[in-house]
Amino acid sequence: MPMPRPEQNDTALYRLMGWLSPSYPVGAFSYSHGIEFAVEDRLVRDRETLTDWIATVLTLSTGRADGVFLRETVIRAAAGDREGLAEIAALAAAFQGSAELAAESLGQGAAFVIATRAAWPAPLLDEAVDWIDSPIAYPVAVGLACAAHRIPLKASMLAYLHGFAANLVSAGVRLIPLGQTDGQICLRMLEPVACNARDAALSTPLDELGTATPMAEWTSMQHETQYTRLFRS
Amino acid sequence: MSVATLPSDDAVQEPAPRSSPVRAEGRVELRFARRGAATRLSHLYQRDPCRVLFPNVQAGEPPLGVIVTTSGGVVGGDSLTYSIHAGRRTNCTVTTQAAEKIYRSDGAASTIDVRLRAGADAACEWVPQETILFDRARLRRATTVDLGPRARLIAGEMVVFGRAAHGERVLDGLLHDSWRVRRSGRLVWADALALDGDIGEIMGHPASFGGAAAVATMIYCGEDAPARVYAVRAALSAVASGCRAGASCIGDVLVTRLLGADIVAVREAFAGLWARLRSEAMGRAPRTPRLWNM
Repeated sequence: MPMPRPEQNDTALYRLMGWLSPSYPVGAFSYSHGIEFAVEDRLVRDRETLTDWIATVLTLSTGRADGVFLRETVIRAAAGDREGLAEIAALAAAFQGSAELAAESLGQGAAFVIATRAAWPAPLLDEAVDWIDSPIAYPVAVGLACAAHRIPLKASMLAYLHGFAANLVSAGVRLIPLGQTDGQICLRMLEPVACNARDAALSTPLDELGTATPMAEWTSMQHETQYTRLFRS
Repeated sequence: MSVATLPSDDAVQEPAPRSSPVRAEGRVELRFARRGAATRLSHLYQRDPCRVLFPNVQAGEPPLGVIVTTSGGVVGGDSLTYSIHAGRRTNCTVTTQAAEKIYRSDGAASTIDVRLRAGADAACEWVPQETILFDRARLRRATTVDLGPRARLIAGEMVVFGRAAHGERVLDGLLHDSWRVRRSGRLVWADALALDGDIGEIMGHPASFGGAAAVATMIYCGEDAPARVYAVRAALSAVASGCRAGASCIGDVLVTRLLGADIVAVREAFAGLWARLRSEAMGRAPRTPRLWNM
């Protein structure tokens, strides 16, 4: 049956929803980003504290840093800037607060590249992966796919931050535990936070890159020795 | 042009008066080289307001360099550069004589650039005393580390946001404190603490500082770093009362963080960790330099 070609906006939305959904095979469900220990330590204990914790991680921690890495990856890959791409990929790979946060980002990044090259092949994706000689962090992997498929940066950024936040909400719902509706309320409350984090990530100069969350990093370090654990981070 | 305002506190040594709003550009260059079985200073450059002292050390200890900032503090627009190069197979320890005070700035940020280089098989320590930020201080500090094959490094820093004992709090300001560690030219660890604006409110968030007003980072780089993480955790659980402490090994960089309500507990834990790490990883005396105890 002949089908009309979808418009570019439609393909962009469709692909982002797929790549950043919980069903994309990157193993996102197995990472809690330290929240498992934060729950154990009663730092996160209900809907309000979970929302507040994730909001801080989005705006002052991994959300902010990953957003900058995603932006720089998209810009440099789209421009064919090989050295610049290799440099940002190396920085993103090394910019890690703990061994488990590194495993979370690099594990998802590697899985995302494999799945996307197989299911959504694009010449620039294959080429750009070869320009990089470090492990590929998750925001870099997503950025490469977005550049290769010419997906607008603003939309990619929000989809990435939503996926990240939704994954942490899901971890919190399982760990605290909370009802599914509470999880959705939490995500609703994070909508303006994610939009602000997106805007900040689009405008933060690379040399201002940083996090302000030693507590979040500390919970991740503590998780390494947590006695009972469901999550890998 | 920058304007600095000093809090009225007798304990604070005023910066040397300057005839014009000239920014201080302090600089220290230290290079150590191997001579026979010993490490010797092979290059020294110091520019005001920075000087370096070399106190006598006990037998078996490597050469000790102590950086002194004679101006009594850093004001907006000042820049300090510390370049420490431990040549192949050298051993050295570098610290600072006193806490570094970063005063309020109404304009320009101050910069501190720390460049650490350790050649093949060198064992170098860079552990300055704490940095004290006053309200509305603006500081950009960058620590870049270049390690040769098998070089080992202990490096650390403590930052305290206002002196709690003096009733001081930091409500507003800027701190951008970054680390880049390269091994044989390859970036192996990067980090940056970035606080800007309403710091008092930001640091109150549970996932940010959780109300802590002092933070410290100590790293140990070496091929044996992954094997040392257990001993470091044990040391932290023993010393860390009144502060939160964690350790994790990222590649061959062992990263330790301490967070506390004030500098006292953090400093005690930090000094204890340093003493243990230098003993276990470098075979040095399990204590900090004497001037750290004053």
